[in-house]
Amino acid sequence: MNINYKLQDRFDLSIFLPVIGLIIFGLLAIYSSTVNHPTASGNFQKQVIFVIISLFVFFVTFSLPLQSFKKFAIALYGISIFFLIAVLAIGKTVYGAKSWFGIGGFGFQPSELAKLGTILMLSYWLTYKSRDINNLKDIGVALLIGVFPVVLIMLEPDMGTSIVFLVITVSLIFWSGISLFGLFVVLSPGIVTLASILGIYAFIVALLLVVAALFFFKKDLFNSIAVFIINLSAGFFFDYIYRVLKPHQQKRIASFLDPSADPLGAGYNALQAKVAIGSGGFWGKGFLHGNQTQLRFIPEQWTDFIYCVIGEEFGYIGSMIVILLFLVIFLRLFKLSATAKDRFSVLVTVGVLTLLFSHFALNIGMNVGVTPVIGLPLPFLSYGGSTQFINMVMIGIVLNIYRNRKLHT
Amino acid sequence: MNDNYFGSLFRRRIVFVIIIGFFAICSVQLFNMQILQQPTYSEKSDENSVKPIYQLAPRGIFYDRNHKVLVGNKPSFTLRITPSTYDKKLTPYLEAILGMSPGYIDRILKLNESYSKFIPRKIAKDVSFKVIAWYEENSSKLPGVDYVMETQRDYSFGVTGAHMFGYTKEIPLEVFQRRKGEYDIGDEIGFGGIEKTYEDYLRGEKGIKYMLVDAKQKTIGRYKAGEEDQATIKGDDLTLTIDKDAQEVAEEEFKDKRGAVVALDPSTGEVLAFLSAPQYNLEDFAKVTSNEVWRELNNNPDRPMFNRASMSTFAPGSTFKMISAIAGLEEGIIDTNFKVNCGGGYQFGDRYFKCLHVHGTVDVETSIEKSCNTFYYTLVNKLGLDTWSKYAKKFGFGTKTKIDIPEESSGIVPSTEYYNRVYGKNGWTKGFVISLGIGQGELNVTPLQLAQYAALFANYGKSARPHFLKSYMDTQTNKRYDVKPQYYDIGISRKSFDIVRRAMYLVVNGAGTATNIKLPDIAIAGKTGTAQNPHGKDHAIFVGFAPYDNPKIAIAVIVENAGFGSTVAAPIARDIIKAYLQKDKKEEPKDLAALPVVKEANIEH
Repeated sequence: MNINYKLQDRFDLSIFLPVIGLIIFGLLAIYSSTVNHPTASGNFQKQVIFVIISLFVFFVTFSLPLQSFKKFAIALYGISIFFLIAVLAIGKTVYGAKSWFGIGGFGFQPSELAKLGTILMLSYWLTYKSRDINNLKDIGVALLIGVFPVVLIMLEPDMGTSIVFLVITVSLIFWSGISLFGLFVVLSPGIVTLASILGIYAFIVALLLVVAALFFFKKDLFNSIAVFIINLSAGFFFDYIYRVLKPHQQKRIASFLDPSADPLGAGYNALQAKVAIGSGGFWGKGFLHGNQTQLRFIPEQWTDFIYCVIGEEFGYIGSMIVILLFLVIFLRLFKLSATAKDRFSVLVTVGVLTLLFSHFALNIGMNVGVTPVIGLPLPFLSYGGSTQFINMVMIGIVLNIYRNRKLHT
Repeated sequence: MNDNYFGSLFRRRIVFVIIIGFFAICSVQLFNMQILQQPTYSEKSDENSVKPIYQLAPRGIFYDRNHKVLVGNKPSFTLRITPSTYDKKLTPYLEAILGMSPGYIDRILKLNESYSKFIPRKIAKDVSFKVIAWYEENSSKLPGVDYVMETQRDYSFGVTGAHMFGYTKEIPLEVFQRRKGEYDIGDEIGFGGIEKTYEDYLRGEKGIKYMLVDAKQKTIGRYKAGEEDQATIKGDDLTLTIDKDAQEVAEEEFKDKRGAVVALDPSTGEVLAFLSAPQYNLEDFAKVTSNEVWRELNNNPDRPMFNRASMSTFAPGSTFKMISAIAGLEEGIIDTNFKVNCGGGYQFGDRYFKCLHVHGTVDVETSIEKSCNTFYYTLVNKLGLDTWSKYAKKFGFGTKTKIDIPEESSGIVPSTEYYNRVYGKNGWTKGFVISLGIGQGELNVTPLQLAQYAALFANYGKSARPHFLKSYMDTQTNKRYDVKPQYYDIGISRKSFDIVRRAMYLVVNGAGTATNIKLPDIAIAGKTGTAQNPHGKDHAIFVGFAPYDNPKIAIAVIVENAGFGSTVAAPIARDIIKAYLQKDKKEEPKDLAALPVVKEANIEH
């Protein structure tokens, strides 16, 4: 047992083994949903290759010196932004008027890389020397770091991923100790912008609420007016941007805001997903025996709706095992956030936790019908090379943090 | 309570509660769905399912520049087989009723064998109503057979335009996988020509009808009374730059000939007529193309599938003399006083290059008017290969025009570098260069490049990239977008152009080689040519523009194996010019003028 103890001391098996368990569940579900599919039948083999590569990358990330992530932060963030812009630029030149070119020839989703870049960059900025989280300038820069990729991803458009970036940004600022007033300043322009899209009345009501809140906080006049102006201009700025856009871009934003306008019929998918999971029962219909899955009632089931395959074929038992494995990972990360050796490591751990949890919550929530239909992959299970790769890099980083948790420099 | 610090306990607790809380909600919901409500969901899954029925969107229509329909749509019935429930014993009956040869259905099923057995295969398109009536009567005895209403391209508007329009076909597996998520198996996609370039405008968006089906996939009603259904969105209509009248004349003239015509608006680069003859029948592609049709098209010695207008390359013959003339004038090597004595040919080293006549003393104007070879043998020798080559390239030869259809060749303009590469440094002689002066030798150009060349003379070196799309109508916003021409200027002096244009005028209206096409009311300027053909009779060529003073149309005509340019190619050019310009006088473009222009669109490829 001595050896085991030492291993557990340097390598957190309670994170690594659940991750492997989830990957295996994912491979089974991908196999089941694609084996009889006319065009996706090669996806299982491809995913096996993705998994092998990402495991290799995991061990590399795990073995790097912990300090190196801090050094990577700025460069990685810069590269992410560059790729996000490049994707938009390429999409634009190919067809001037209607560009629905997705990712271009990279074979890699830049928004996935940007997740890593943004978490590292935000953690770096928020913990650099004597940063004051309640200083307006410092919050402003942190917000810029977090929101810039959101704007670029919105234009792609990818609603789910944009939301994840916003949640990560808010979560890291929150953890850093922002005051309630600061949090209000951070969140209110977003809410006002959202209201401005809904119409002029919603916009006015939101602004009135902002004024009411400002009275409640009893800040001095200058600060209050400044916050109000920020809110007002956020609404108008978005409106201005919206008008400048070409009609097809406006259309994209509209469908981004209203997922029910999704061409595949979001309502239809959500219903079929519930039928698939519900009909699975306690034990499930058995591997390769789910009729919803095998008759392909849900398009592209191996990506965002992979959880239905598990629900239908492995039943309540299988569904619970999957979410329990996630819970173990989340709780271990939560614990690590208290024992990591420095603030940078803490924030990176919190960032990874937030990222995985927001993906988990929005994806499972959509599958079981408790959250709106927003397309996001389920970490470790959904088909896709880029997500698998980046998720394993993140696990590599947090296990690296775990390995170095006791060393003091 | 002050917890405004890094990782405060209070904040940690909030995060912890969120994680545990969400986990609890999910567990309860799963328990509710999979255990408490399992029978309900199970019933839904076994008996009733919602099945989306996709409805194809009609493709956008092609209009000509005066808003006359060129290519439309018509409804048609498509018969399908779903292999999972199909009984192979039915094949002979189906083949008989469809009038297909035995083995036809087997072949189609085999072709798509790798697809899921649950996906219906289209076995016959544009099926007659008689067949549908027969099917309706016997449908219970025909498991796995069904039909759908589709729209299909309608080519009955008087022009064929096969090579510029292109055709649509079922999406091939390889394209289907590349454009992941955008198409379904069995969807139509543009192949070649305008159908391919503007596929994303033309295709529209499919509609979806949600139907309730039972476990046997039998329809038992609409889902939610159709409120989640999505209407089909028709593709964007395209207004092309083509002039239907000019195109019709071109097609009529080439009915029994092989060759190509390209006519352009010289100032905007708009393609007015575009023809490669012989053509193929686009109707053949609108149905499920049978092997016989393919074999016939591919084995035909006239190569009807080949787009001659923008892909065939040949030596342009005397039509190329203006390049040397312009180069000589621009470089100051010759002027209007420069004269050559033509005694019927030109001695260069130990070779003698012949002229067709004895022209006597010839200046640059007469050299074009009378098409004197001796003058150009002399001139190109003075110019040198690379100067000549530089000017040929200025006029767009040797590179693609970037016209908005995918089928195009770039041709060849020889240079020192080119000959060195092909023959080695010492493997070629200056004699090679002499024949280039009269457009023979290893020079290769396309009819489209020749039309662009004519346009540059018409408009003093200023033109725009040749293109087919004039505007498109966004079906969803109901706004019309005009395509902005991409202008360019090759930077050659007006003085040089004046001299050469005058000579081109005299070719038709003086004592030149094409006086047979002189018209009383339209001043045509041009140049005849004969392309030597090693495989048979020479090709006849004419390039020109009209009216001389204010050119509205530039044209290149090539007739394969027809001999001299003036006798065959020039009259065709004249008729097309007449069809375009004379209609211009009597008829105002309808509709189009009334539609508001919304924005200018930049379209790149």
